[in-house]
This record gives sequence, structure tokens and C-alpha cells, in this order.
Amino acid sequence: MGMIYLMLIVSLCIAAFFLMFFLWATKNGQFDDDYTPSVRMLFEDEPKLKDE
Amino acid sequence: MGNCYHCGDVLPTPSILLDQKEFCCQGCANVYSLLNSNSLKDFYQFEKTPGTKPNKGRIDKFQFLDIPEIRARFVQYEDEKITRVKLSLPSIHCSSCIFLLENLTKINEHVLTSQVHFAKKEATIVFDRNCMKLSEIADLLQFIGYEPDFGRKVEVKGVKKTFLLKIGLAGFAFGSIMLWSAPDYVGITLDNLSFRNFTAYLSFIVSLPVFLYSASEYYVSAYKAIRSKSINLDVPITMGILALYAQSTYQIFNQQGPGYMDSFAGFIFFLLIGKWFQNRTYQSLSFDRDYSSYFPVAIHRFTTYGTEIIPIEQLKQGDHIQIRNEEIIPCDSYLISEEAQIDFSFVTGESALVTKKKGDLIYAGGKLIGLSIELAVKSETNRSHLTQLWNETKNKKESNKLVRYQDRISRFFLIILIIVALLSGIAWAFIDPTKIMTVIVSILIVACPCALALSSPFTLGNTLSVLGKNGLYLKNTTVVEALSEITTIVFDKTGTLTDPMSHKVHFSDVQMSDELWNILKALSSHSTHPLSQLIHKQLTDKNQKIKLNHFIEHKGKGIEARFNGHHYQLGSSTFVGNEVPIIENGTVFFTQDGEIQQKIHVQSSFRASVTSVLSQLTDKKIFVLSGDDSTDLPELIALGFKSDHCFFRQEPKDKADFIASRQKLGEKVLMLGDGLNDVGAMGTANVGIALSEDMFRFTPSSDAILDAKHFHLLASFFHVSSYAKIVLQICLGFSITYNLIGLSFAISATLAPIVAAILMPISSITVVFLSSSLIHFKYWRGIE
Repeated sequence: MGMIYLMLIVSLCIAAFFLMFFLWATKNGQFDDDYTPSVRMLFEDEPKLKDE
Repeated sequence: MGNCYHCGDVLPTPSILLDQKEFCCQGCANVYSLLNSNSLKDFYQFEKTPGTKPNKGRIDKFQFLDIPEIRARFVQYEDEKITRVKLSLPSIHCSSCIFLLENLTKINEHVLTSQVHFAKKEATIVFDRNCMKLSEIADLLQFIGYEPDFGRKVEVKGVKKTFLLKIGLAGFAFGSIMLWSAPDYVGITLDNLSFRNFTAYLSFIVSLPVFLYSASEYYVSAYKAIRSKSINLDVPITMGILALYAQSTYQIFNQQGPGYMDSFAGFIFFLLIGKWFQNRTYQSLSFDRDYSSYFPVAIHRFTTYGTEIIPIEQLKQGDHIQIRNEEIIPCDSYLISEEAQIDFSFVTGESALVTKKKGDLIYAGGKLIGLSIELAVKSETNRSHLTQLWNETKNKKESNKLVRYQDRISRFFLIILIIVALLSGIAWAFIDPTKIMTVIVSILIVACPCALALSSPFTLGNTLSVLGKNGLYLKNTTVVEALSEITTIVFDKTGTLTDPMSHKVHFSDVQMSDELWNILKALSSHSTHPLSQLIHKQLTDKNQKIKLNHFIEHKGKGIEARFNGHHYQLGSSTFVGNEVPIIENGTVFFTQDGEIQQKIHVQSSFRASVTSVLSQLTDKKIFVLSGDDSTDLPELIALGFKSDHCFFRQEPKDKADFIASRQKLGEKVLMLGDGLNDVGAMGTANVGIALSEDMFRFTPSSDAILDAKHFHLLASFFHVSSYAKIVLQICLGFSITYNLIGLSFAISATLAPIVAAILMPISSITVVFLSSSLIHFKYWRGIE
């Protein structure tokens, strides 16, 4: 039975870790703009076009 | 006929040729050659005709940006070398825009980096402050077609971030509590009380931040609603949340079981996701540049040496200021010039111009139409005063519109809920008085309208994005509802039924003197009337820099001005004083001292899709209100309009009155106009749609903007909105069914935590799935 208490605490800690990670990412601006980076990536990948 | 290589507009004749590519105006060609010479040709690779026609502005237009106080508003960071600014660029619209703006440094080496935020239409630009002024950045951006909007508030910081934090917390609590409640639900731990208590206390701790932080906005909203004696959906939601939390806490601390903490956290999680989705739809469709984008930031003040530019906050009583054509008057002041024409439509909603004489008091918020004037400041001002002025009109209009469907339902819902709770309480008083509290609390818990709250944002939000993909941009979700109830459609003729892109302008006297041509061009540039703009467009090679005096625009009639002692008029035949009115539609006269110098015939052609649109709208009453003469009537009848439903020579006020009279008959009226001359009518109508050739123009009183390329879809928009309403009703039906099932458990005092834990997420997920799939599956190929 003791095991289950341990597992419970461990699972909570893992969840809490991911929560902290999420909070950090949010504060850091990772979710601010979800469109521009996807387009920006394409520009750098097509340097040949520029030479034409 | 081709399209401009840069902006995609239909080419005029003659067009401008450069590099074997055709351009509609010198502005577009300039941008092309600038990009070309900086090896930014890629701009034209990502999208077809991605450009925005650059706006010709006054040369000193952005001078005010170099005033330290104003400059400081946009500067984010500055050291002795560089400056970082964040600017709002409303015309960002495609991936090519991102490409161009992020490569600004290739056009001007003093721009060090620039980064675009597409969804917010903002760019963060870092430049060398020793080599470049902020006003030069603005000039550069305007030159390539991205005029910065300095009135707009740049960034409301943190709102979105705290929202994500709230969702994250709720999701974390939901998942964790579910995990350790599972054994309890299947009965494993019933014989092990200490484990059950341990998890129960843990649930309490984990859900505390959800209760205090994540759900806080519902308490605030419900409190505000109750205080203003109106009921919104947040009131029953808050009741449910409080009941749920109180009951669970009570159970946990009396060691009666784990309570409903998992349902509670899940509940908040789903509600917040619904709200997040709603905000997201708004953000991606937001055309609603609010009124503040029209605010003047700085003003010209007369000094003993000339004029200087100062921020409007620094105006003092008694200052003499200069206001120029199309500028907003920032403060209550007295007129010093002889006469002025002021448009108060933002403040009063009336579109007719008001004439003020020397010495008159002019209130803040009006827009000057005509030649620049001098004013003496009566009272100092600030931006918030103007905001307030304009918002009052705006709110007045909003409150006249429909009360939201959802709010009507929630009122009804709350009454039923209280009655059911009371009745069951009374019933249980006879059966088993100890269970009265349990029953009442469970009723409040299960009746909590989570699914109900989700159905509206998801259904209408998805509808908004479907419509947006097809060229109709709604201001908010209430418009979907209003659109589905429309019985009558009123069309404006010029610019709406006719296609301004396919006009042909004929001049009767090509041999006119150059001076007259130039005057004609200057005169036509001052009017927003479609005919006048067409004439102006035709005169590309003429010089416009002529200072006209006593300029007056008579809306819907014509314009007049004085120059070198002569009196010039441009307008309809009655306006220029022809004794025998020549009723030939689209004919404009240009006179010098009453002598006709030029007869300009603008041949209008109707949009190709008018007939097919009409044939699809047989269930609606159709009217045409035109400011012009009735010469087009035969053509209108041929297109399928009823002759007694077409009205001509309508002043802007007549149009608004006509719409009001139809509304008195119980009809719901849609006004479709070009947005500039129909402000009053669109404000009166239940739904006002501005048809726009150029999506970046914005009109304050319209509820929606329709991209003129998608005019042929008009009838389909009604189908979509009606369908959305049906979907909404289906979703409401589902969520109410779930509530009824829950209620039956609650009333019989058998609401176990597991029932709540299953019922609640299932109802929310069904509703979200139904509303999204029903709408997207039907319209994913387009809406025709």
C-alpha cells in the first residue's frame, strides 16, 4: 500500500514539472505568435529563388 | 484587362509599364522597382499580387513622431546606438508581407532587424538611432504600402499570457485529480479510508489555485452582471462553481469522501478553453480597428514664428491650432477662420455636414472636411475624453441591436433552475429533511451550464471563420444571429451594385487648358464620392498641388471651391445650376463661374453577378436606394429588381429614414453599401455591411465588411447564418438534455461524484465536437 502513496507523489511531481515547464514557456513568449514563425522558416529555406 | 502586378487592382488605361510588368499607379511601380533593386523579388513569389497600394500622404505627415513625448510611446528600448520600436501595421495580410517587412534591412541599411507578429499585425523594428529618425521609418513603411497606425494602442500586454496560465493550472488540476480519483470510482479504495482521505486532501490543495485564480473572471463577471441587474450566463455558472466547490470542501473536511473536485477542475478547464477559442477567432478576424485609430496624436499649434507640432495633451486653453482636411478636432474650441464644414458622424451618427461660422464653438470629435482652419482652444483635452465621446455613440448603437440569444436563454435558464431547486427542496422536506441541502446543492452543480456556455462560442466562432474564409468579415458573433433574421435587403447602387473597377470615364472636351485640368484634379481629390474618385483616378498625369479656397462638399451633390477669384463647381447637373436638368446618369459637370467647361460621363456597369444573386434571394424583400437619377431604372429592372422597389435621388438621411420605416413594419433590414456615404443608413439597419474593394479600409458603423470579390456569395451568407443558428439550437438541445439527465440524478439525491465526473466532460466534448464538425464538414469545400 505504501507503494501507491509513493507513486501518487511521483506522478504529482511529474505533472507539476510539466506545469512549471508550461508556465515557463508561456512567460517566455513561446505561445505569443503561432503563425509568423511557420512562414519565416520557409523564407530561409529557399535561397535559390533569390538568385534568379 | 489585366491586374496590377503589385497590388492586384484592375489596370487603368494607360497603365504603367516597367520590366514588362504592368502597374496601376506610380506608387505600385515605385515599390516594385525599390524591391527589385534590393533583390527582394521574392516578395512576388509567395503570393500573387501581394502588395498594398501605397497611400500618398503629406510629406510631413509623420513629423510628430520626432517629438520626444510621442516618440516615447512607441519606443520599447533605446541606448546610445539603437532604438527598438513596435508599430501597428494594419495592412499586413499575407506571407509575402512578412517576407518584405522582415527584410526591411535590405532596403534601408540603417534598419537593423525587423520582426513581424502576423496575428497582431505588428512589427518590431530595431534601427540605428544616429542615422535614422522614427519618422523616416514611418515614411519608409508608408512608401512600401504599410502605413503605420499610430492611433492604435500597441499591445495589451499580458492578457493572453495570464489566460494561458489559467488554462494550464486548471488542466493540471483536472488531470491530477482524475488520476487518483479513478480507483475510488471503481470502488478499490472504499475499504481503505486513510488512502481516500489522503487523496481527498491532495485534491483540495491542488484545486485551490483553480478556485482562487483560474475561475476568478467568472466571479467578477457574475458580480458585475448582478450589480447592473442583468443576467448573463456567468451567473448560473458562478452559482454552480461555488456550490460545487463548497460541497466538495465540506465533504473533504468531514471525511465523507473526495467530493467533486475533479469535475470542478475539469469544468473550469473546459470553460476556459471555450473562452480561449473565442478570443482566438476574434483575433484572427479582427478588422475592428477601434475608433482610437482615428485619434490625432499631435496637432499643429501656431506660434509667433509659424507653426510647431505638439502632442495634443500639451494643448493649453487659448492656444491657436491648425486643423487640416480630414483631421479630427481634438478639443472643444472656437472657430477663428471664416467658415468650416464639420462631419460629426462619429459623435452623433448623423452623416450630414454641419457648417460652423467664425466664433462658433466646435466640440471635440468632429472631423474637418475641406480647407484647413484655425481654432482657439477652449478646453484642454486628452485621448480618454475622445474615447469616451465616441464610445457613447457606439454603445448606444450596440444596445439597440439584438440582445444575445444566449443571454436571453440564460435568464430563462436561471428562473427554471431556481424553481426546480425550490420545488425539490420542498418535496424532500416531506420525504427526508436531512437531504434537503444535498439535493439543492447537487441541483446547482449539475445544472451549471458548462456545455451551454461552450455551444455559442464554438458554433458562432466556427461560423465566423467559415464566413471569413469566404470574404465576409463580421465584427462579432451577434452579427451571425442578426444576419439569419434578415427579411429585407437594401442595396446602395453606386459602388455596390455597380463595379467601380469597370468604369469608363469620358471627357467631352479634351482640349481644356492645363490650368483647368489641374483644378479639376485638385477638386475631385477632395471628395469621397465614388464618381469623384473615378475622375480623380483618371487624371494621373495632371498636377494636383493647387491650393483651392472655400472648399465645400455637398454630400451626394457635388463640390465647390474658389481659386484665383474664380468659382469652380463639380457635380450633378442640378448642382451646377443647369436650368434644364440633363438627366443622364453618371454625368458630372465641371464649371468655372457657372460656365460649363467639361461634361464628364462616367459609364457604370453593374457587377456581373447581380442577377444570379437576386435570383437566389427570392425570399427577401429587395430595395435599391440610389443617390443618382432614375436613368438606370430600365437596366435595374432588366437585372431583376422591382420598379416600385427602386428609389432614386436619395440623400443619406433619406436612406436612414427609409430603413427606419421598414423596421417599424417589423422587418429586419440589411443595408449593403460602400461604407463611406452610407454611414447613417448602415448604423440604422439591423446589419450594415460595407462592400469593400480594398480590405484595409474600415468604416466605423458597419457590422461587417464584404470583400467585393465575393459579392456573388451574398445569398450563401444567409444560408450559412441560418444553418449556424440551427447548429446552435442542436447544441443547446444537447446541453439541456445533459442537464436534465443530471437533474434527474440530483433531484433523486443520487448524484455520485462519478456521475458528475462523467456527465460533465462528455456534455462539453459532445457540444464542441458537434458544433465544429457540423459547420466545418458542411462548408469545408466552400459555401456555395
